[in-house]
Amino acid sequence: MRTLGFVFRLLPILAVGLLLHYVLPQHDIVRITSTEVIRTDFSTYNRIFYAQADSGGVDQPTRDLRLINTQKQKTFLLGFIKRDATEVMVYRNEDTGWIWPPYFKFDSSDLQAEAAAEARAEGWFSLTHYGWRIRWASIYPNAIAIKPVDGPNATIIPWVNIAFFIFLIFAIGMIRAMWFQFRERMVDPAMDAAGDRMDIVEARMDARRSKMRRWFDSWKPKDRR
Amino acid sequence: MAFLKLIFFGLVGLSVIYLSLSVYSASIRRERLEKQYDAEPVTGQNREAFVETGMAAYLASLRPKLLVLVYVVPVVIFMGIVYVINTN
Repeated sequence: MRTLGFVFRLLPILAVGLLLHYVLPQHDIVRITSTEVIRTDFSTYNRIFYAQADSGGVDQPTRDLRLINTQKQKTFLLGFIKRDATEVMVYRNEDTGWIWPPYFKFDSSDLQAEAAAEARAEGWFSLTHYGWRIRWASIYPNAIAIKPVDGPNATIIPWVNIAFFIFLIFAIGMIRAMWFQFRERMVDPAMDAAGDRMDIVEARMDARRSKMRRWFDSWKPKDRR
Repeated sequence: MAFLKLIFFGLVGLSVIYLSLSVYSASIRRERLEKQYDAEPVTGQNREAFVETGMAAYLASLRPKLLVLVYVVPVVIFMGIVYVINTN
């Protein structure tokens, strides 16, 4: 039973963790090799991993998708531990639009042009992206921006994520404080009042019962009262 | 259309945050006034009157007005994100 409770408490934490891992920006150190456009036919299960049509356009079941092909420096532990190895990584390059995820990116054409220009050179870039690469469902992370860096061992400080987590801790603390204040000032007095009323009713019932009990007892033999 | 949706739901969300924060802030102040009175009662003023004058002073002060920042800061951050992401 305790294990079950633990699992039930772990599940929402895991879900929120996965959501944040998907949505928060991450930085990869990459060398851009090429850019391309492919036609994409979405299915029901990979559709949610894509954004909508370019901002200002209309959404169709099938559309072209901009891709950025790169060679990426491999890392362990979300980029905190560097490795001396590379792998290929493909990013999609889509407008996120006004709603979700809140990157408000409308310049995917510009980013594509930038990436195409950099593909001719041999430079290293910090590529900001969100999302996952899931091969079996043809899902790509969405590239947000590229910024030149010195080399494959460049260190990136994730300021946005630091600020976000500080804000998250602050917000959780604030909600906790508000909840405790609400309970102390609103719920507890109401419960106390209800409890008092219950006590009065119970006392009255006790009195009535004892009166009845006395009457019943009066019929019993003296030693069994 | 998506932009209007953003404005509408953003406004609703921020209003919920604003209202709960202002209720919370007022509640904290009221509790402090009550405790202050209980610690050293003011002669010639009962507890309720003391708390009400304190709350009137609180509502006239700068603090509740600062809560308007709940609307201002996210909008500034939003415009900042739009600017930073879409310039190169």
